[in-house]
Amino acid sequence: MLSTRILTGFRRLCILDSNKLDVGVRSISTTTVANREVDSRKEMLRSLPAPDEGTAGERAIDIDGRMQKDSLFPDEDTPNRLFHGTPFKELPIFNIRVSPNNTILSLTDYKGVPKLIRSCGVEGFKHTKKGTNIAAQATAITIGTKAMERGIKTVRVSVRGLGPGRMSAIKGLQMSGLNIVSITDSTRVSWNPPRPRKAKKL
Amino acid sequence: MRHARFIARTVFVQNNDVEAACRVLNRILGKEGILDQFRRTRFYEKPFQFRRRINFEKCKAIYNEDMDRKIQFVLRKNRADPYPGCQ
Repeated sequence: MLSTRILTGFRRLCILDSNKLDVGVRSISTTTVANREVDSRKEMLRSLPAPDEGTAGERAIDIDGRMQKDSLFPDEDTPNRLFHGTPFKELPIFNIRVSPNNTILSLTDYKGVPKLIRSCGVEGFKHTKKGTNIAAQATAITIGTKAMERGIKTVRVSVRGLGPGRMSAIKGLQMSGLNIVSITDSTRVSWNPPRPRKAKKL
Repeated sequence: MRHARFIARTVFVQNNDVEAACRVLNRILGKEGILDQFRRTRFYEKPFQFRRRINFEKCKAIYNEDMDRKIQFVLRKNRADPYPGCQ
């Protein structure tokens, strides 16, 4: 009995409220916004998956327990540490230059004298195919085997730039049989750069 | 600022696991904001974009600080052994 009375009272209140509110309230519908067709290019781009920049694990929050922290990063003895009889500072260097549209790999000795160079374009991939991870991997395997033929087995890798070839080029070098000692990032980053080019219109 | 090459931003490959080394490197670069800065400086950031980004970051920092405080408050402990079984 009591509950029904309360309910009816509540209903009456609701009606009163709605009558009062009817004056200046517009209904808000969120479904139309959600179901809107993709009309502009900007929205279409936003709905696409993010481009692969070879930065897997960038946003990852995980604990690397299995790795030995002490031998993961270089210290003051690193330049003289021996790898297959060669000190670290005299190991040949694989420089990988990655951009969204191409990947260029070059092998230099420790002084920086170039020995081999190869890019996805030289490999036979043309136009947009140059800027794919498959192209980068194929190029890396080719140049890696060439380096092996020259008798180079242990190298350090230096990567510059972001692009689809960043990870796959390193993977390709390993697949060709080279022993990669270390990976260095030499991307040029400045906090007060000269004015960059105008942003692309989308 | 220039740093010694092959000392800075370098990770050794352990047990021939190149991918894990890459992931560690990427995570560090991401956390330090180096990759974000690189992406931001590919194209000119107009003053209005700069202003909006800075304001957004400020708000986010304030929210995160308050949220951290709240979480610490909820997780507060007053026991002789605060984490039993975790010795």
